[in-house]
Amino acid sequence: MALPFLGGNAPRSIALALGLAVGLVTGQPLFAAEPSPVGLDFFERKVRPLLAEQCYSCHGPDKQKGDLRLDSPGAIRAGGEGGVVLVPGDPVKSRLVLAVSYQNPDLKMPPKQRLNARQVADLTEWVKLGAPMPAGEAPVAAGRKEFQITAKDRAHWAFQPVKRPVVPQMNDGISPIANPIDAFVLAELTAKNLAPNLTATPRELVRRAYYDLTGLPPTPADVETFLADTSPLAWEQMIDRLLDSPRYGEKWGRHWLDLVRFAESNSYERDGDKPHAWRFRDYVIRAFNSDKPYDRFLREQLAGDEIPNADLDAIIATGFYRLGIWDDEPADRELARFDSLDDIVATTSQVFLGLTVDCARCHHHKIDPIPQQDYYRMLSFFQNVNHYRNGGPTDEVRLFANSAEEAEHATHLREVERRRDELQGKLTEVEKLFRTRLAQGEKADTPLNRDLDELQFRYYRDTWERLPDFTLVKAEESGKVPSGLFDISLRTRDTAFGFVFEGSLIVPIEGDYTFHLDSDDGSRLSVDGRQVILYDGIHAGGEEKAATVRLRAGRLPIKLEYFQCQNGLGLKVGWSGPGFVRRALSPDGEPVRVTKVKTSARDFSQLIKSDGPRVLGAEQFANYQALKKELEQLKPERESGEKALVVSERGSTPLPTHLLGRGNPNLAGDVVEPGFIEVLNSPAPILPKPAADARTSGRRTVLANWIVSPGNQLTARVMVNRIWQHHFGRGLVRSASNFGTQGDRPTHPELLDWLASEFVARGWSMKAMHRLIMTSQTYRRASQGNAAALQADPTNDLFWRFDSRRLTAEEIRDSILAINGTLNLKMSGPSIFVDIPREVLAGQSVPGKGWGKSPPEEQARRSIYIKVKRSLRPPILESFDVAETDRSAPVRFATVQPTQALGMINGSFLNEQADLFAARLRREARDDVANQVRLGLQLVTARPPTDAEVQRSLALIAALRAKDNASVEVALKYFCLMALNLNELVYVD
Amino acid sequence: MNTPNFCHRTRREFLWEAGAGFTGLAMAGLLTADKFFSASAATPFVNPLAPRQPHFTGNAKSVIFLFMYGGPSQVDTFDYKPELYKLDGKTIPVKTFGRGGKKNEGRVVGPKWTGKSYGQCGKWVSDLFPNLAGCVDDISFIHSMMADSPIHGSAMLQMNTGKVLSGSPCLGSWVNYGLGSVNENLPGFVVMLDPTGGPISGAKNWSSGYMPSSYQATIMRSAGDPILDLQRPETMSESSQRRFLDTLHEFNHEHQAPRADNSNLAARIASYEMAFKMQSSAPDAVDLSKETEATKELYGMNDKRTEDFGRRCLLARRLVESGVRFIQLYSGGAHNDDNWDAHGDLVKNHTHHAGRTDKPIAGLLKDLKQRGLLDSTLIIWGGEFGRQPTAEYASGTGRDHNAYGFTMWMAGGGIKGGTTVGETDELGGSAVTDRFHVKNLHATVLHQMGLDPDKLTYFYGGLDQKLVGVEGAEVMRKIVS
Repeated sequence: MALPFLGGNAPRSIALALGLAVGLVTGQPLFAAEPSPVGLDFFERKVRPLLAEQCYSCHGPDKQKGDLRLDSPGAIRAGGEGGVVLVPGDPVKSRLVLAVSYQNPDLKMPPKQRLNARQVADLTEWVKLGAPMPAGEAPVAAGRKEFQITAKDRAHWAFQPVKRPVVPQMNDGISPIANPIDAFVLAELTAKNLAPNLTATPRELVRRAYYDLTGLPPTPADVETFLADTSPLAWEQMIDRLLDSPRYGEKWGRHWLDLVRFAESNSYERDGDKPHAWRFRDYVIRAFNSDKPYDRFLREQLAGDEIPNADLDAIIATGFYRLGIWDDEPADRELARFDSLDDIVATTSQVFLGLTVDCARCHHHKIDPIPQQDYYRMLSFFQNVNHYRNGGPTDEVRLFANSAEEAEHATHLREVERRRDELQGKLTEVEKLFRTRLAQGEKADTPLNRDLDELQFRYYRDTWERLPDFTLVKAEESGKVPSGLFDISLRTRDTAFGFVFEGSLIVPIEGDYTFHLDSDDGSRLSVDGRQVILYDGIHAGGEEKAATVRLRAGRLPIKLEYFQCQNGLGLKVGWSGPGFVRRALSPDGEPVRVTKVKTSARDFSQLIKSDGPRVLGAEQFANYQALKKELEQLKPERESGEKALVVSERGSTPLPTHLLGRGNPNLAGDVVEPGFIEVLNSPAPILPKPAADARTSGRRTVLANWIVSPGNQLTARVMVNRIWQHHFGRGLVRSASNFGTQGDRPTHPELLDWLASEFVARGWSMKAMHRLIMTSQTYRRASQGNAAALQADPTNDLFWRFDSRRLTAEEIRDSILAINGTLNLKMSGPSIFVDIPREVLAGQSVPGKGWGKSPPEEQARRSIYIKVKRSLRPPILESFDVAETDRSAPVRFATVQPTQALGMINGSFLNEQADLFAARLRREARDDVANQVRLGLQLVTARPPTDAEVQRSLALIAALRAKDNASVEVALKYFCLMALNLNELVYVD
Repeated sequence: MNTPNFCHRTRREFLWEAGAGFTGLAMAGLLTADKFFSASAATPFVNPLAPRQPHFTGNAKSVIFLFMYGGPSQVDTFDYKPELYKLDGKTIPVKTFGRGGKKNEGRVVGPKWTGKSYGQCGKWVSDLFPNLAGCVDDISFIHSMMADSPIHGSAMLQMNTGKVLSGSPCLGSWVNYGLGSVNENLPGFVVMLDPTGGPISGAKNWSSGYMPSSYQATIMRSAGDPILDLQRPETMSESSQRRFLDTLHEFNHEHQAPRADNSNLAARIASYEMAFKMQSSAPDAVDLSKETEATKELYGMNDKRTEDFGRRCLLARRLVESGVRFIQLYSGGAHNDDNWDAHGDLVKNHTHHAGRTDKPIAGLLKDLKQRGLLDSTLIIWGGEFGRQPTAEYASGTGRDHNAYGFTMWMAGGGIKGGTTVGETDELGGSAVTDRFHVKNLHATVLHQMGLDPDKLTYFYGGLDQKLVGVEGAEVMRKIVS
């Protein structure tokens, strides 16, 4: 103990002396045994995050400068090489406080950047309180490899089961409160001695309800109908009408599309279109309109393809997996695959569970009790998903209305296959005859058999040491192989390239066939979906491999994969079978360097074309040609139909999932089995054992079932909170996608739990929740402020009023179209393209690329049907804060910027719409300007204008006419433009 | 001044993120000193893009990023490799990674330009840049830059946002987020594109990603309507518009009266007045009629070849004078040889692009210096990556992309002039000493602006996001004075 004094390190020694002195002199335990809940709360809210933020980097799991760790109460108590750092109750003597207050020039922490006064004050206050910390959290060993989830972690409110709370018995002074929402809210208000606002006016309410449920303004007639309805159920009935309107799905579906990062293009250099992505948008709209139970809705998106006897929507729903960004040309393909899986883990965990599990990809979650294992356990549910390829058999599926239709299609396909085999048999016979005659009549070196047909190639340029998964690699070139053989002369260079050949092998009769394969470097031959020979790795040629397999007669799929690294190269393939000795399936010898043209003599199809009539005779040759033509037209892939963008898996048995050190695919660690978030204490998943030929592993269903199980602590809470959020402008939990320990606590925890339990009890019906919320008094409060309430609760934590809100980008655009009477309510189908100014298109590398032009009536459709191209958004949507689509967007910004104003007064869209608005007014209000103005203002504000407003508008028109020489039409147009710019339109009370 | 709490979330960011009622607070740096506004607003309005205190006093107040889109070749410009000339045409073992994948050998293309030493520092510059060569004593060359991707799409994103994945805010967004904007009538982050078109991925290169759109760049044009929708419709004169706005204001003012606590309404009212002013101030900023002939000549505006880039460089200086924080100029646009992406004929490509930019850039440096602005203006030059020392195809001089090692340079804004840091190997293909990642460049830019790259965070997706990533990045101390 004396050593530090001898060491001559003055500051440390002094500090140590202080620390020890107190401890020794008082003889008291240094830390209170039972800290108060208030003190603990102070520690968790103020101190622990501060330490994590400012100190852990040097005094935490990675580094322990001065042997000091500050990342657990135990460690903090233990102190460092200089001894204890805290003297509870005495900040002046606590080294921790000393260091952060920068009083001693040799003991300044953090060394680079001084804490601000608030932070220092918090630490000082905490020490004064006696440095309260949870008991029992021991110092953690270095590295924190064995991530311990503590009782404290489990105690976090959101990890507790939803318990249906007792509804407070409240009375509004006249009668008991009927709607439990009001009871919960009023209980808090009463406790804070705050009176809520009165009910909003009926006009305010009708506008509020229309925008909240449909995203569109009420027409003047809608308003008057409601006002005239004296029934006590008028409000409830209006809500029911709006919930029944198809406009509801277009409004609420949009919220969901924000969450699941919906877009119809891939971002990056080409920002190419995702095939059929619009079907997912329509699916979401249908789901909301049909009030699909939320548990079913989630199950369909996560694993709709695994639901037995599911309808088409369940299949389309799995497009969920395919909506993310995708780089078709990533620098690191393996990493890109994990980036793609990360997108799925992040979206799934944030959207469905309100957890940022994706923060644990590279290390344990910094704040939440989510170990890195949790991340990979969740990832392993998705690991078998085929990597996205932007279309093709792994991303697209044909849609069948029912199983009969599907069976019919399958029968048809089988018939096509049968006929193709039959045709091939006949063709083979003729070709055999041709060869024989040719051999008899001419020289013996007749060119070639015809064993391979419809051979296609894909050519790749990259360096490998083993055969890659070519499905993850972008092909440089692809097409038909002219020579009809496994021909690597199609390459553009002699090193670092690869080929995949796919086509049909023509098998004359059923029997055993032997394949021969030699390659430099690696190769793999597969026939009829089975691997026949694998000759992988880097090696020279000369050691031919062979294997014998039994094959049925007909046209069997054949596939050859090959790569070349450097130095010598070559590929030799042959086969033999009943009735024939070895025949080559690749060109002989060392292929010609860098040439794409084959000598025609080698090409059998060329030969039979030129010599066929002579050798076979005109009639037989014509017959041959006809058979060949029929075969060519009978391609199964030509049998197209409606398709959707969907998920698919690599078969029934997933490869193992490894924990990746620092998220790096090259640092694969232990194998991780599928499992649920540990802190939630769920029973371990029971994984299905699918049949070997099953198309999927069934794992996604297991995950989906867990997420929607009634016992899941988060799912219902997270979703009712989102519903609340989009009615009130903020969730009961403000951080709607983060219910973790660094998220916001609910302002009304009991109300949240009551709603969550009600949501499940009502069969996960979202419309039931809208009804419940909107029939509350809380929803119907006026939005005006009052001095006392603003003083006591400026951010309206208690819901003493209804917060007014700005319309969203889509609502602004759709309202303008509705107001001028041109809104086209056509639903569903491929997305539309609205005009984008040339100046904006100029920002593209190829202006206008990927952006079409829809006819005017299509352009007047609701904004949800506008194409979502990631790198090009229409300015009116972009400037009013449409969601960023590259990741899940739980909240829309509502910025106010002068560039919005510029677009609203000078932009071409607004000016065109103002013209249309003026035309409507002329049409409906005839030639009376006062009537035109009156109608215009009423359409915009959903209320009759005052005389003063009419006079003001008329004055504008008159002045534009008299002083600026505007024509009648122009003056009215600018009145219309003015009306469309009113704050009263853009904000809802 | 905002007080960061845990996660450096200010109350405002917190509210944004949480989608609370207080949402109309993002005015693009344009509202603070507006008298109209303060007279009409009933509640105090805090502009989040008002100038903010830096973390410490930085040298630079503005940044001009001269983006050589497509990727200039380092060995043909500033990274002198005498041995490489001798190897011209020889096939040698060398590890490369470009558009054409990974290779272990290739045919050397000897540098196509000779050069010589310039200035007191004696820095070698190739004959491509005769004018810029005169400025080397003000420049710091970094020969050891590295990036994660040799593919345009992801490399562009990384140079602009720090990430190869799409969806994050740009360097210019971060600077405006950290410092706010000192000008009132112009955007704080301006991008000027090449006349041939935008770069690939278009708007993703000036997006504010997960930050509010207030932080995204505004595209400014050097001819015609400088900003989208700045021009009034033909039938609306200035006086008509004034009348129009006055009437609008009367309506909005009346609407606001019973809602005095709602600062969003006041903000939106003010935004129309700001827009009105921008219509005169933005054209003023791009009006070069007050510039002398000598100045225009300095920027090469009298020569057809250099006229466009010279005009944009001169505009950049004017924007710096107006207090715009971050200006990005693209040299090259669209595809293929419209930018520095010299896959085919290197000589033709680089002669074209260097020829269009050499004099304007030298003019910009000299002009800033003579006006005393260079010390407070950080200039960055470079592409999303460099090029390989070897040929891409069997014949020709074209070079493929190279992110293993490339050259960028910086000048002004507290950067030590006349210095060179880092080296590539003798072929000029891979950085070997003092290797710097794009993140180090970004860290240095923030540092010069008075921002601590490890402290400048934005809470999003459960994480304190940083431009330099969670691991952080060191400032390139050797080039900082």
